Order: sequence, then structure tokens, then C-alpha cells
Amino acid sequence: MSMTTTPSGTAAAGAVDAVKVYGTDDTEVRALDGVTIDFERSRFTAIMGPSGSGKSTLMHCLAGLDRLSAGRVRIGDVFLDDLSDAKLTELRRDKVGFVFQAFNLIPTLSAAENITLPMDLAGRKPDAAWMDQIINIVGLADRLSHRPSELSGGQQQRVAVARALVSRPEIVFADEPTGNLDSRSGHEVLGFMRYAVSDLNQTVVVVTHDPNAAAYADRVVFLADGRIVDQMENPTAERIIDSMKQLGG
Amino acid sequence: MIRIALKDLFARKRRLVTTGIAVVLGIAFLTGTQLLSVSLSDSIKSLVGDVYSGFDAVVRSPRTQETPFGQPIRTQVPAGLVDQVAAVDGVGAAVGVVESPGPEIVGNDGKVVGGGFGPPTLVYNWIDDEGLRIGSLRQGGPPTTAEQIVIDFRTADSLGKQLGDELSIATTQDGVRPYQIVGISGLGDDGSQSTGVRPITFTTAEAQRLLNQPDQFNFVAARAIDGETQADLAARIGEELPEWQVLTGEAFTAENQEQISQFVDILEIFVSVFGYVALIVAIFIIYNTFSIIITQRTRETALLRAVGATRRQVIVATLLEAIVVGLVAATFGLAAGFALATLLLRVLSGFFTISSTVPSLAGGVVVLAVVIGVGVTVLSAVIPAIRSSKVPPVAAITEVAVDRTAISVSRRIWGAALVVGGVALIGTGLAQTGPNPLYQVGGGALAILVSVAVILGPLIARPVSRAIAAPFSLGGLIDGRLAGENAARSPKRTAAAAAALTIGVTLVTLIAIVASSIKASADDAISSSVKADFVVATASLTSFGAIPADSADAIREIPGVAEVSPIRFTLLRLLDPVGVASATTATTVPAGQLGAPSDAPPGEDTFALGIDPASWFDVVDSGGLEGSPEDLTAGTMAVERKFATERGWRVGDTIPVYFVATGVQPVRVAVIYDEQLGQGSILLPLATFEPNSLPLFNTDSQIFVTTEPGADTAAVKAALDAQFADIPTVSVQDLQEYIQSQTGPINVFLGIVYALLGLAIVIALIGIANTLSLSVLERTRELGLLRAVGMTRWQLRRTILIEAAIIAVFGTLMGLVIGIVFAGALSVAIAADNPGILTFQLPVVQLLVIVAVATIAGVVAALLPAWRASRMNVLEAVSSS
Repeated sequence: MSMTTTPSGTAAAGAVDAVKVYGTDDTEVRALDGVTIDFERSRFTAIMGPSGSGKSTLMHCLAGLDRLSAGRVRIGDVFLDDLSDAKLTELRRDKVGFVFQAFNLIPTLSAAENITLPMDLAGRKPDAAWMDQIINIVGLADRLSHRPSELSGGQQQRVAVARALVSRPEIVFADEPTGNLDSRSGHEVLGFMRYAVSDLNQTVVVVTHDPNAAAYADRVVFLADGRIVDQMENPTAERIIDSMKQLGG
Repeated sequence: MIRIALKDLFARKRRLVTTGIAVVLGIAFLTGTQLLSVSLSDSIKSLVGDVYSGFDAVVRSPRTQETPFGQPIRTQVPAGLVDQVAAVDGVGAAVGVVESPGPEIVGNDGKVVGGGFGPPTLVYNWIDDEGLRIGSLRQGGPPTTAEQIVIDFRTADSLGKQLGDELSIATTQDGVRPYQIVGISGLGDDGSQSTGVRPITFTTAEAQRLLNQPDQFNFVAARAIDGETQADLAARIGEELPEWQVLTGEAFTAENQEQISQFVDILEIFVSVFGYVALIVAIFIIYNTFSIIITQRTRETALLRAVGATRRQVIVATLLEAIVVGLVAATFGLAAGFALATLLLRVLSGFFTISSTVPSLAGGVVVLAVVIGVGVTVLSAVIPAIRSSKVPPVAAITEVAVDRTAISVSRRIWGAALVVGGVALIGTGLAQTGPNPLYQVGGGALAILVSVAVILGPLIARPVSRAIAAPFSLGGLIDGRLAGENAARSPKRTAAAAAALTIGVTLVTLIAIVASSIKASADDAISSSVKADFVVATASLTSFGAIPADSADAIREIPGVAEVSPIRFTLLRLLDPVGVASATTATTVPAGQLGAPSDAPPGEDTFALGIDPASWFDVVDSGGLEGSPEDLTAGTMAVERKFATERGWRVGDTIPVYFVATGVQPVRVAVIYDEQLGQGSILLPLATFEPNSLPLFNTDSQIFVTTEPGADTAAVKAALDAQFADIPTVSVQDLQEYIQSQTGPINVFLGIVYALLGLAIVIALIGIANTLSLSVLERTRELGLLRAVGMTRWQLRRTILIEAAIIAVFGTLMGLVIGIVFAGALSVAIAADNPGILTFQLPVVQLLVIVAVATIAGVVAALLPAWRASRMNVLEAVSSS
């Protein structure tokens, strides 16, 4: 895995003229309407927008979970649009990390097994030092043999973050990762992601509607009606709220 | 509420099908056999009516004995009786009738036609009187010389024979020889019907000669003058000839119909077994499916409860769903049964005339299908229904999806109690401390089976699943690990899915072991006691003694042959106190039977061997002898020691024995021997056997041949083969071949058992497929997550296939273990009763095949759910709630 040696500043993922259309004719909905965006390496990006703005769709298409109607997306230097399901699956496994809002873990596997799941699926051994480092950061060293049902919601999301990071992916996508957590657990989870970007040179994209969550990011991208309507570098919660107010008004 | 239940049901049609399919199969077999047997009985009755339609009265010997083959054996009547009957007032004409099995037809391929199962070849004599003749001539004329015969059209057609052609017939008098076909006949007025038996009509003298019954008939048939009723005619003959048995023509026909319908009944019972097995397995599948559905529907049910549905309404809704499944399954089952019966009738119509190839749909069968279909389904759904009603309304807002409830205390207690009770029953059974040890062992075994498969299964499902998964997870393979955990996560479900397979495999394992043990025992017994180098034996089971009469003498002429010992078989009835006490023969006289009643006194029917005392004990090691073979003269017998001891017989005792040919005769015990071969508990020297046996049995059945020391056995074998090359009714066997031929019927039996296994496995697999489909549905989000983080379709499929394999192996191993334990217990129980009769033997290869077949089939069952799971939309799966 040589990703971390790539000079930071080049894009880890990106989309060009991304269009996603659901339904046909009368019921046609343009969830993405010509989005062009790059996610630079070693940066923490938040995608914000009201419900139906297309922020989740953008993330799903970027992560290879869904396909565009038109335009192109890429992870690293691989364009996803022409990939077969098998290649796409491999790409998700090796180059993408996921954190979902809920139900992030396989209930039959222990925390440790959940963390190494993508590596196990690939039939690879995780880098032991890297894994230890991540486990220590998320503070799960004494919880590794527990099943998800024996962990709190915050602990479960931390396991999910560890899993997303363990294979040193090109990019980590998190879809409302704190949506189901109390604020303290939420801040912990976001703190780990912030740390992963700042100190471990990882690349993270978070989809959220929570300004406090978005404030952890280096950059906030605002979506509305399937288009990028605003961007903000080094955001704070207050500035984000202001910006949202303007967009909403 | 009802509408909700039905809507849900029809929204999931595929599940409706898979849930009901086991019931469909069960009902198809049950109703199919019922429909078949109704149609078949009707056809056969009308055909048998055709055979004897010209008879107004039948006069026959009262000397008769029931046999295990269905048809009783009966002694002949002298030719002189015909004139006596003809002289009775009211008799228009009387004829002597020859009707008996014996000679066989040799087909164009040089083999016996119809050897083995099915309708027999029968010898008839030509009857001049058209009114009393059996069947009608379609072509040609009567046989006028000994070389001429009439055969029926169906036999002629099947062999491609025409008028004037020659037909080869195997006889005991002349070996295989040709007869000329001079006439072709059939039943019914126009000769267009056939019962399936192959009648060969000879001249009367030739028919009698071939059956070794010169100047004797099997019975006399009479027809009345105009205006005389059958009853009056029979009564008059009975008065005039009181020493003979007289039947009206109708009674005679009814008796024959009765005997044939017994075979139809056996066929019906046999096919019904498949139906019952299917239904029993179906109960598990329906139970499991409903349990899973209801667990998955917990939230929905809770919501209904929260908005005001009563517990009763919830139960009723579930049961209603079961009723609909049952009704749909019954309908399809009935349709499939109808198709099955139609198919079988069509196949059977190739063998004999069937009035209609479409079964008549009797109302009773429809009711049976509905009652069983709905009954089984509702019964299986009762417990899940009650459980569903216990869902608290609050469950609507909590996350519950999988039944992870712990194994309840009552389950442990019941399971343990049943196992302990079962073990106790088997123990006492084996210790012979009860009224019926065999039933105790059987009952105990059943209790353990139920306990292990149904109640305790869930307790061991988890560790066993993980153990089975271990080899799949070697080298850190995550799909094997996941499959093992998935099978282990809901042990109740895994155990229930496997239970159907467990029961099937238990039955088959048990039977396979017992059969193999019986075979091994026969093998042991024969190879340790038979000292003959070769056995010349009748090739088919139906030909009694088909070895040509001069064979033994001819074999003695072969250079290198030392001893030649022919044996014969017969039935006799023992009239000693033990035999009388165990008599089961009914003594009711059927309506329409007059004159002398059957004269056999009550007693015990048993097989006896006719032997040559000078050579028998040299060719078969019978252990120690009390008395000398030289004492085996006319009117004596040899008895196996255990048999004699049980009855208190000693050398010198005289036992009253009933022979069909000669009535009650005193027979003295001259020899008691220690070891018996096969069914030979009683040996009659030919001096006793010959005068007391019917001609049918008075032919050699097997000839044991030993060679001189140093003789060229290959040359002897070659000479024997040459001797019998042209006689397809006879085969020359070395000891190994003889053992195989003696244990051959067990293989046929095993074939049937494996067909049963096939059925049980197919149904059990439908259950596994059902369970996995539901599990996959339930794990949609989880599978979506796995796919999202990088599980390939192939890995996902593999995971589900391995889970199926684990369930199948779990079920099969449980069945295997229980089956082996039961077979062991059973053989101990049998051995306690009959020492040395059973050598416990594990048919290792067969058992491995059973495991392999069940496992592979389990994987096959999962192909569809696995494929479906792998095709699901990842995004929808991860975002579904």
C-alpha cells in the first residue's frame, strides 16, 4: 500500500459532470445535476445540504455503490463508470472505507473480526503495527473480542471507523456517521476521523446535515437540488449555520 | 385482520409454494395411490370375472393350506370326478380344469419371460365345452397334439409370435423345447381382454404331464342346465359328493378377486409409505417456515397489537394463513396425485387390460386430500401462532429481528426426560425385562429421535455448526467463518431446518445397517456351513422347482464330481401343541362354499426342505448331530436343535404334521442337528418328502455339488455350465454367486429404501432452501454491508452455500449417529432373542455415500437463495430499514 507516499494535494477521488436521474418522464428526479468536484488527499471534506439535495447520492456514486446516469467518477486514478461489478467490489474493498449511519457491523463477528473484515475478504493480512495504532486511537483495545451487540452505539461506530481505516484506503466515506449517537459519542467519532486525516494522512468525506459535525472538516461543500451551490474552507459551526441560512433563504 | 393476513400471504407467492410443496408431495403420493387402487381394483375384478364367467359351480379338494405367497396351495382331484359331477342332476356339462404355475416361457433372448415379479405364466388344459372354456379363441384352433399350444394375444404380441410359430418352453421333463402355436386367445366375449398372466393352453394330457399330475385336475368346473341357479346347482352337487368342496361360480370368482386385490393392497401400502414420509418431513418444514415468518413479522404483529388487535385475532390470522397454505397444497397435491395415478395406470395398461386409463376421482379422496393438507399445515402452525400472539405491543418500537431466545429450561427438561426415558426403555428392552422387548427398544428409540432432533437439536446446533465450519475457515477464510456463525446464530432455526434431514437419514441409516447385517449374517452362515463347491439353482423366484428331473443324475456323471445333493422346498403345517397354539388361520367358510370344508386342522405353517440324507450332511455342515442320518427313513424328519428345544421335541418323538397332498401324517423326529441353513428348521428325507408333497413342489429346487479332492474345479464348472447352457430357468453358481443370489432380495429392498431416502432428502432440502431464503431476506442489510465493504458476489454465494452445507451435514450427522445407535440397539435386541442370527455390520461405503449425497444436495438446495442474495442491489440493501 503506497497510497500514503503519494504527495498530498492531488485528488483522492472526484466527479466530473456527474448526473444521476431517477425515474422517467413525469416522475423524473435529477438527484445529481452536473456535479464536478475533487477530493484532495489528506483532507477532511464535509458534504452538506438539505434532504433531497443529492448529497447521499453523490457519496454513493463516488463510493461505487451506485452508478451515474451521465458523467464520470474516479477513485485515485481509476474511473468507476466502466468497471464490472466484480472490479467495483474489489475497488470498494481495497480503496474505499465506509462508515454508515447505523448497522455498520456484522453481528456474528467480534469487533476485531469486523475491523479486519475487508482485509479478510481480500485474503490479506492487516499491517499489525498500523492496526494496533488505529485500535489504540479509537480506544477499543479492551473491546476487541466483544460482539457488536455487547458494544454501545458509540463503540460500534468507532469499530466502524477502525474498519474503514484499517486497509489504508484511498478515501473513507462516512454517511451521517454520528446521526444515531449522542453528542459526546458523536464528537469522539468525529475526533478520530479528524485525527486520521491530520496525523495519519488519510482522506475522509463525511455526508452530514449537522453543522457541528461539518465543523470538523477542512472544507464544506454545500449541495442543493443536485448542484454544488457553495463551498467553504476551514469552516466553523457558526459560519456553516449562516451559510445554510442564506442557502435556505 | 383477516384481510391483512391474506394480503401478506399472497404478496409472497414463492414462499407459499415452497412452504406447501412438501405437503403437495405427500398428498400426491397418498391420493395417487388411492385413486390408482380404486381404478385398479375395479379393472382387476372385472377381468377376473371374465376368466371364470362360464362357471356355475366348481368342485375341488378340501385339502388346502394358506401360503405366504397369497394363493393357497391345494391338492388335485382325480379325472374320474368329472363324470361324477356331470352325472349330478342339473349339471349341463362338467370339465376338468388344469390351472397351475410350473413351466416357463423362454423368450427370444433365451431368458425366462417375466422371471421375478409380476403376473405368472400359467398352464391350462384345452376345454372343448365352449361355455366352460376360459377365454375365447381369436385365431386358429385347439391344440390337438402334445406339441401344440394356444397362447393369449398379449403374450404373442409381446414376443412377436404369430399363428404357426414355435414357442420355447422350459419344462422339468424335457428341458427347453419348442411348442407350435396353433391358436391365439383372449378373455371376454371378443377375446380382447387380458389379465396380465401368461396362459399357455396345452392338450389335457400334455398339461397334466408337464405338471406331474397325470389323470388329475386342479378342479372340476360345471355349468347348469337352463333354469337352474348357481346356488341350487352347488347345493345339489354338495349333497351328491359330500367328500368334495363345492363353490358357486360367483363364490369362486369372488375368492380369486380377493386374492388378487391383496396384491393391489400391498402396492397401495407401499406407495403410501412415501406419502407418509413426505408428510412427516413436511410438518418440520412448515413449522420452521411459520416460526421464521412470525419472528420476522414481530414488529408488524406488535404494531397490530398496539393498535388494538387481540391475541385471539393474531392467532386466528396466522392459522388462517396456514389453512390457505394447506388448501392450496391440497389442491395441487390432488392434481399431482391424479397425474401420478394416470401415469401409473398408463404404465400398467401395458401389462394387462385396464378399463380406463383415467382414474375416477372419488369424493372420499378429495376429502382426504383437504383434511390431510389443512390438518398437517394447521397442526404445524399452531405453536408458531401461539408464540406470535405473545408478542408484546412494545416490540413495535424495539429492534427485534432474529429469534435469539435462549433454549428454554422446559426444553432442556423435556429433552433430557425423553432421552433418559428412551434410554431406560431401550435398556429394559435389551435386558428382556418387559412384556415386549422389541417394542420397548423401538419406543425408546423414537423418544430419543424426537428428543435429539426436535428438542435437544438446538442445544448442540451452535457448537456443532462451528465445528463443521472450522475446516472451511482454515487459512482465515472469512466466508467459511461467516457461514459457521450464521448457522450458529439461530440454533433453533438451524436445528429445525436440519431435523427433517435427520429423520430421513436416521431411518435410512437404520435400515441400511440392519439390511447389511442380515446380508453379512447370511454370508457368514452360508460360507461357514455350505461345503458344496457349486450350487445348481432355479434362476427365478417364481419357478418352484424348475430344474429338469434328470439333472442330478446327469451331474453325477461329470468327472471330478464327488457328491450331488438335491433339495426341494415345501410348506407343511405343524400340529403339535405349540403349533396349534400359534395357529392364526381363520376357519370361516365363505358364502357360496358348500360340501366339505377345508380339512386342514389349525396349526403353524412352516417351510421344510426335502433332502437326500445320504449326502446332505456332507454338503452342508449342520453342526453336531443327535441321531444318525441313516435313521432318516420314510416317515421321519430332522429338526434344528433350537426349534426342537422350544417345542420340547426329542429324538424319537412323533409329531402330527399336515401335508396338503396327504393330510395329517405322523412324522418321527429321527435327527436333531445344531446349525441350520436359511429357513431349514425342518428337513424331510426325500422318502418322507416325495409321497407327501404336491407335484408342484416335487421337483428339485437346488442341487449342491462337491468336487473330489484335487479335481479340476474349473473343468467341473465348465461341464456344469454346458449341461445347463440351454436352460434359462437354471443357473450354476459357485459359493460366492450362491450367497449373492440368496441375499439378492435384500438389495431390492435396499433399492426401495434408497428411493425413500431420495424423497425425504428432496423434501428436507426444500425446507433448507426455504429457511435460507428467509434468512437471506432477514439479513438483507447485513449482506448489503458485506457487499459494500468488498465482499464479491462469489464470496457471498460461497458463504450461503457453506451455511447450507453446514445445516445439511449437521442434519445428516445427527441422523447417522442416531441411526447407528438404534441399529446397534436393535441388533442387540434381536440377537438376545435369536443368538447368532444377526452379525452387526456397518455398511461404511453406503453410509459415506448417504452423507455425501445429503451434503451435496444441501448445497444444491442453497443455489437459488445464494444466487438471489448475490444479485441484490447493494445500495438498497444498505439503506433498507
